[in-house]
Amino acid sequence: MKKHDIKLSDNSYSFVLTIPATILTAIFIIVPIIQSLIMSFQKYGVKNIISGKPGTWNNLRNYIKLFEANQIPEAAYHTLWFVLFVIILQFIIGMALALVLNREFKGSRFIRSIMMTPWVVPTVISGLIWMWLFQPQYGFAKYFISIISFGNINDLAILNNPETALGGIAIAALWKQIPLTTLLLLAGLQNVPNSSLEAATIDGAGEVRKFVSIVLPYLSPVIKIAMSMSIIENFKQFPLFWTMTGGGPNGATTNFAILSYREAFVSMNLGSGAAVTTIWMLMMIIIVGIYQKSFKVQDMS
Amino acid sequence: MKKVIYVLLVLLSCTITLFASGQKEGNDSSKVVLKVANYALLESGYEQFWKDVETNFESKNPNIDIEWVSAPYGEIMNQVINMAGGGDKVDCIFSEIDWIPGFEDAGLAAPIEDILPQSFINDLYPDVMKAFEIDGSAYGVPLYISPYVLYYNKTLFEQAGLDPNTPPKTYDEMLMMAKKLSQLKDSNGNKVYAFGQTTASVPVSGSSVNAMIFNFGGTVLDDNGKLAVDNDGFKKAINMLKTLDDLSYNPQNAKLKDLRNLFALGQLAMYYDQSWGFNGVRTINPDAENFTASAAPLVGANGSGQSLLQSHCFILVDNGEQRKEALSKFVQYVISEDVLADYLSNLTPAYPAIKSMANLDSINNNPVLKGAAQSASNVKAQPFIPQLKDINLELCTLAQAVTVGDESVSTAIEKFKNRAQSKLSE
Repeated sequence: MKKHDIKLSDNSYSFVLTIPATILTAIFIIVPIIQSLIMSFQKYGVKNIISGKPGTWNNLRNYIKLFEANQIPEAAYHTLWFVLFVIILQFIIGMALALVLNREFKGSRFIRSIMMTPWVVPTVISGLIWMWLFQPQYGFAKYFISIISFGNINDLAILNNPETALGGIAIAALWKQIPLTTLLLLAGLQNVPNSSLEAATIDGAGEVRKFVSIVLPYLSPVIKIAMSMSIIENFKQFPLFWTMTGGGPNGATTNFAILSYREAFVSMNLGSGAAVTTIWMLMMIIIVGIYQKSFKVQDMS
Repeated sequence: MKKVIYVLLVLLSCTITLFASGQKEGNDSSKVVLKVANYALLESGYEQFWKDVETNFESKNPNIDIEWVSAPYGEIMNQVINMAGGGDKVDCIFSEIDWIPGFEDAGLAAPIEDILPQSFINDLYPDVMKAFEIDGSAYGVPLYISPYVLYYNKTLFEQAGLDPNTPPKTYDEMLMMAKKLSQLKDSNGNKVYAFGQTTASVPVSGSSVNAMIFNFGGTVLDDNGKLAVDNDGFKKAINMLKTLDDLSYNPQNAKLKDLRNLFALGQLAMYYDQSWGFNGVRTINPDAENFTASAAPLVGANGSGQSLLQSHCFILVDNGEQRKEALSKFVQYVISEDVLADYLSNLTPAYPAIKSMANLDSINNNPVLKGAAQSASNVKAQPFIPQLKDINLELCTLAQAVTVGDESVSTAIEKFKNRAQSKLSE
């Protein structure tokens, strides 16, 4: 009997290998996005989920209502303020810590290990910890501020004041996220070639010049990824907001995540929740896109 | 050949992923399984009671099994809805009264007369049952009821030179007493708040603010469920919230559990709570029974001190004749003197909803609830509309606007009207 060899071209082989990933992406990402987009133009409530009946088309009513009540502009402002505040401070503090930890000193390894603790703590638990720290009657923050202000500030209530509540959540987010940023930047710093730094030193470059002209360019791919991750993480931040303030006081911490949850799962209006999600997703794509386009990774090869 | 093997492996994994499915659990067909959604199982102090209910009910009804569906208080509604969306409906939901319109609108709640015998329904107070009606049918069956009662700390009253047996009857009296109470410090030197009214961003806080509006004779919705806030009582109640905040009598933006905590620790002199909230106080400080007393809700302006009816109730789901019959047995078993008498006397102070428990001394003379005994009959029900949760949350935002937001009462009310109207128009 003649033996038949079954041969596959490289293209066919590659195509077949991508099938599982394509199927999973389609089922778990593409289809839900399309479904959510369609739902955002419909009156779609819990009754539709339970009965299995499709929603009724209501054109742009969900969007109009959200804009008329000023909910989208407010949520956009709170979301963007939070993202900007957190990523700027996260980069500055993370970089400072990475530079310190990049030097060998007594206990540096221990600090590097222990530093990751906040990152390991689940976000909801972090929110609860910070909520108790900021508790206005018996929280540690109130006690601490009272001591360092020599008793002049005795009524600190960060989360109860619409002016400071978002900042309170940002502090919790920074506490949780700075360790990972520091770790990523530290990994990047350890790849900066010593030879380049030594050559610059011989040429008379100071510490600042070396940091700006050698370290930062070498770090740029890591910074780009770390900050992209941070933008996305904080754009979709829900557990800290929900646990610490639930969107209050007086709506001062209602970001897109809270608004979407409240519309979909508190008001039980899934159409309206989907409309918030659609705007939220578009905004995130645009911002991450602009960031990716404008951030130039420097080629140091 | 290697490539072909890899391709076949990929196709095999795809097939397994797509067609893999769990095997349906085998049930003992002779038994009826009742699924009861109950957040209280996760709350300290209540778990044992419900476990005992399960054990004792199953031993009396060997052909019925209770299967609990539990989730935290804030998530139980979503849990039940998600299950129903997947075709797995629970039979019964242990619920707050305010959740009824949402479940009725979702098509889950069934009229109780479809499931319970008329003889049992006749034993429920007709006036109370009116508060559970939508279009003439009751969609929930109460285990027990309560208005928002005023709890106060007798020890702090004494320390402030006030008579611990004469609590305030009106808001004006309360403000006078609050002036003295707010001068106190606890044993650690912490400030003592004079009066607590929850205003945090959770629906139950909105419901409590609504009760305060009723104290002043105001309304939020009319009988048809339309917005009706252009009245003196509504405005005066919101003004009172602002006054309490301006005078630093009320802990800002507090949840009920925060108020319970402060009250238990002796840092809050008076506060409004559902009667069963006292269990939360006792959990924090077992000694609370010695200093806690209750009083009827305060009378504000031209109001009569009317409050909002609160209840823990069962919402029933129609899952076919066999399960309906088992559900009827379960509801009648729980809402009975045998099961609830001890619970209401010792664990959760509240008033029974059935006439046959009316003369129970242990409940009527409960030392914690005694002072508020008459208030149970001075209650008003909020019309059931599907957007009730939204309206309650908007009331919280309004309360926060005039307190932590420093907005004027008239501006905040205008904003509230716009937002509430937008929600009601959905």
